[in-house]
Amino acid sequence: MDIRLLTNADLPLIQHANLENLPENYFLKYYLYHSLSWPQLSFVAVDVSRPQKSPYDYPKIVGYVLAKMEEEPSDGIPHGHITSLSVMRTHRRLGIAEKLMRQSQLAMVETYQAKYVSLHVRVSNVAARHLYEDTLGFKNEKTEAKYYADGEDAFSMRLDLDDIRKQINEAQEQEGQNGEAADEGEAVGEVGRDPKAASERQVKVAVGRSLGVGDLVEKDESKH
Amino acid sequence: MPQPLNSKEQALFRLVVRSYEDKQYKKGVKTADQILKKFPKHGDTMAMKALILNAQGRTEEAFALGKEALTADMKSHVCWHVYGLLYRAAKNFEEASKAYKFALKLEPESAQIQRDLAVLQVQMRDYPGYIQSRRAMLQARPQIRQNWTALSIAYHLDGNLTEAEKVLSAYEGTLKQTPSRLDLEHSESVMYKNSLIAEQGEYQKALDHLEDAAKYNLDRLAVMEARAEYLQKLGRNEEAAKAYRALLDRNPDHQAYYEKLTQALGISDDDVKARKAIYDEYAAKFPRCDAARRLPLDFLSGDEFEEAAESYLTLMLNKGVPSTFANLKHLYSDDFKKEVLPELAENYLESQGADASSKDKGEAAALYFLAQHYNYRLSRDLDQADEYVNKAIEKDPKSVDYNMTKARILKHRGDIKKAAEAMDYARTLDLRDRYINSKAAKYHLRNNDNEKALKTVGLFTRADTVGGPLVDLLDMQCVWFLTEDGEAYARRGNTGLALKRLQAVANIFDVWQEDQFDFHTFSLRKGQIRAYVDMIRWEDHIRDHPFYSRAALAAINIYLDLAAKPAENGVNGEDTDEALAKKKAAKKAKKEQQRLEREAAEKQAKQDPNKASSSQTDEVKKKDDDPLGLKLAATEDPLGDAVKLLAPLLQVCPKSLEAQHAGFEVYLLRGKYILALRCLRAAIEIDPSSPKVHEQTIAFRHALNHATDLPAKVLEVLKEEFKAIEPSEDLKKVNDAFQAKHKSSPPHQLAALRAQHILGEDKARTNKEVLALLELPEIEFAHALEALELLQKWRSSEIETFRKAAIAKWPQVTRLE
Repeated sequence: MDIRLLTNADLPLIQHANLENLPENYFLKYYLYHSLSWPQLSFVAVDVSRPQKSPYDYPKIVGYVLAKMEEEPSDGIPHGHITSLSVMRTHRRLGIAEKLMRQSQLAMVETYQAKYVSLHVRVSNVAARHLYEDTLGFKNEKTEAKYYADGEDAFSMRLDLDDIRKQINEAQEQEGQNGEAADEGEAVGEVGRDPKAASERQVKVAVGRSLGVGDLVEKDESKH
Repeated sequence: MPQPLNSKEQALFRLVVRSYEDKQYKKGVKTADQILKKFPKHGDTMAMKALILNAQGRTEEAFALGKEALTADMKSHVCWHVYGLLYRAAKNFEEASKAYKFALKLEPESAQIQRDLAVLQVQMRDYPGYIQSRRAMLQARPQIRQNWTALSIAYHLDGNLTEAEKVLSAYEGTLKQTPSRLDLEHSESVMYKNSLIAEQGEYQKALDHLEDAAKYNLDRLAVMEARAEYLQKLGRNEEAAKAYRALLDRNPDHQAYYEKLTQALGISDDDVKARKAIYDEYAAKFPRCDAARRLPLDFLSGDEFEEAAESYLTLMLNKGVPSTFANLKHLYSDDFKKEVLPELAENYLESQGADASSKDKGEAAALYFLAQHYNYRLSRDLDQADEYVNKAIEKDPKSVDYNMTKARILKHRGDIKKAAEAMDYARTLDLRDRYINSKAAKYHLRNNDNEKALKTVGLFTRADTVGGPLVDLLDMQCVWFLTEDGEAYARRGNTGLALKRLQAVANIFDVWQEDQFDFHTFSLRKGQIRAYVDMIRWEDHIRDHPFYSRAALAAINIYLDLAAKPAENGVNGEDTDEALAKKKAAKKAKKEQQRLEREAAEKQAKQDPNKASSSQTDEVKKKDDDPLGLKLAATEDPLGDAVKLLAPLLQVCPKSLEAQHAGFEVYLLRGKYILALRCLRAAIEIDPSSPKVHEQTIAFRHALNHATDLPAKVLEVLKEEFKAIEPSEDLKKVNDAFQAKHKSSPPHQLAALRAQHILGEDKARTNKEVLALLELPEIEFAHALEALELLQKWRSSEIETFRKAAIAKWPQVTRLE
């Protein structure tokens, strides 16, 4: 079991792990959309010790976190979002999910200046809630009624990433960068977009694989 | 030149364009017809109408009208552009690109046409063409950074790294001030340039550039990894070691960092103590780190291994980590470790004593480990496995994991029916877990129970998908299910549905390839260049994925069978029973199809007319006119269909023995001797001792000896290239010698028997020798299944005798029945 950044070649087996484990599924293009928009944020756990069966074996994925930045945050605050997280039943209790999450959170702060990370979890999913709340420190923000396609409610959770930011700053100061690192410069591009300009309404679009990437951007996740 | 319209019609024409863009197709057609009433030969309007018809799925009409539009107005760039778009939609990229080029000649300033052409070129991997297009686009709008980056990518993909780097530097030269540190596009562009420098092998330059331009780069991980790599390449070991330590502090669960650190510290592979010390250091530093504790087991040996393995195993079993065995089984390639690990587990088990009350930790975990140990291929003893798993189940009868392993043990015994029952029982122990649901469905499929499998997965697919679980699985590109479903139908002799599912997998790969299209522009906007280039490289060999080869090979085998028995309508009078059965099956399938159509019609009728379609746009979802695969199975050209799946496989998986073997069979049956020989030679290159190589060598010589109408040139080439067996040799004797040489090996014997059949050997002899296979000490039930399949294919008289004898030997094996 090895923790590393996701690559595009991993995607078919990530999709496979998702289909095998979870009821919320996506077509490959949606995974591509993540890996090509925020390539720093998604990580995989692979079984590297597995003996090769052919010269064309791909590393077996036993866990993954698929993460993104919110494209148009309704509160105007740059933040990350966990689209999907899963660990194979056969590879539980090794702390894989936690390790994947921590790698992703660090990159969210470093690369995209995320202030917090959000996610949805099934109300009934005790194991996942334990990971998010007790191990990682997520707080439950609100309940979203009938969030999932089968009618179950979701807890909408978030974790403040200030601590990670502080740690990074401290580390940089220790390196003696003459305090330069504290200057974060001016916000540009999407990061600084006026929140009021962004529509708060989620646009619901039909699910189909012929969608353009633009359609994926506005995807309403509750429909999956 | 486009014909002029009145202002009223001009407005209508704009409305047509807008309707198309908004996917208001009906409205678009209506408006176009309004114009055409007055100006029946207006090329641009006809072209736009053709485009809309195409979007409505009326492809043939669209092409006809598109051509008519061109005849009416050869000098209109709109007509040519549309013509290109039609071809693009039909995935005929060659023709599309020609049409775009005509359009561009007429309207060189059109950014839209230029962009469409460029995207097509990169999708087709026409890199010189792409460079040309991107250069033109850069010249048109040099103030946009994307255009510089795009040209650089074009050079990079074409293999011209220096030019790619130069373009990026040229843009940087135009910058009046350094962009903000938080400018993502700039940050990525710097890292992209850095990777280009490194790819040219200039590590010193790359390192300097990194330390200068990427000091505060936003992609910290990439900077740290690149820096460590360059330092190591430059032999600056002390600094490299420090850099890898920093990476390990960040992620101590990444094997490569440990190896690089060891290397940078100058520790040789033999110095096991020093190597172990590094891992120990990180194990102490990170109490929750698994890699630092487990990885030394790979290189330790003797007492040191035993000691480390004991402490690792104890830790894992105490915690009750279910993946303990999965994480260690790769060590079984070493005989010593294969002996030691179960011993340690037994010792641990004994030490647990009577107070081991936990259901999944301690004693229970050790029992589970040993059950998996005895179920594993390299250490298999299924009776022992049973014993341990039963003890584990006794401790926790409701454990999904233990019951799942019980099902696996049954599968290895060949008792697929009971295995499916056991896995389904495990499923009922945790109805909310899709993983165990998937496993249960998979086992139903292995048991050829497609119906129960679909019902089972249907518990987790989206309930509101029109068409039921299967449509959801198709939409979500669930490759594993489609493949297993197809293979199960193939075993049941349902060729139609087997091909239907396996072709669906092939189609998914077409979609994945097509998926890149939008990212050629999207990624430039997003600015994440390295990820984009990585995607392009991966897409170049996307079909080397085992997902593709497994489905493609299964389908090719079916097509081979179809090609081998063309006269199955009972024409030759031989197999009236079988022909009758086929007819019956066909009738049943036809009824089933009628039922499906009726249901679909009823559903449509019931739909709320006010909600005409699910959305306001008129997008069409193509109806499947062959849901049961009857048309696929009735193909006139099974070998042609096989080649379509085979060609990409041979292209991206030349080192796959299975692919080369399949290629040989297909090409030989098609009479393409040179191609067949190419596959045979590739197979010999991969594994000269493959039993199939022998069989195919015989088959090839035999075919050549009997080929009558080969052109002289082909004969000459074959004579030159194929020398494995001389034409004068007696093939039966060659085969007999092979058979005698490999007396005890079931796979070799099977190959020799197949060769006998090809050579027209006396049937009585072959039959007798197939039966004799069962006496071989090394035979496993999988070989017997293969032999049974052969007898069935040959319509041998000994099928039942063989079956009975095999069942007597393996009474549990479901598939012999």
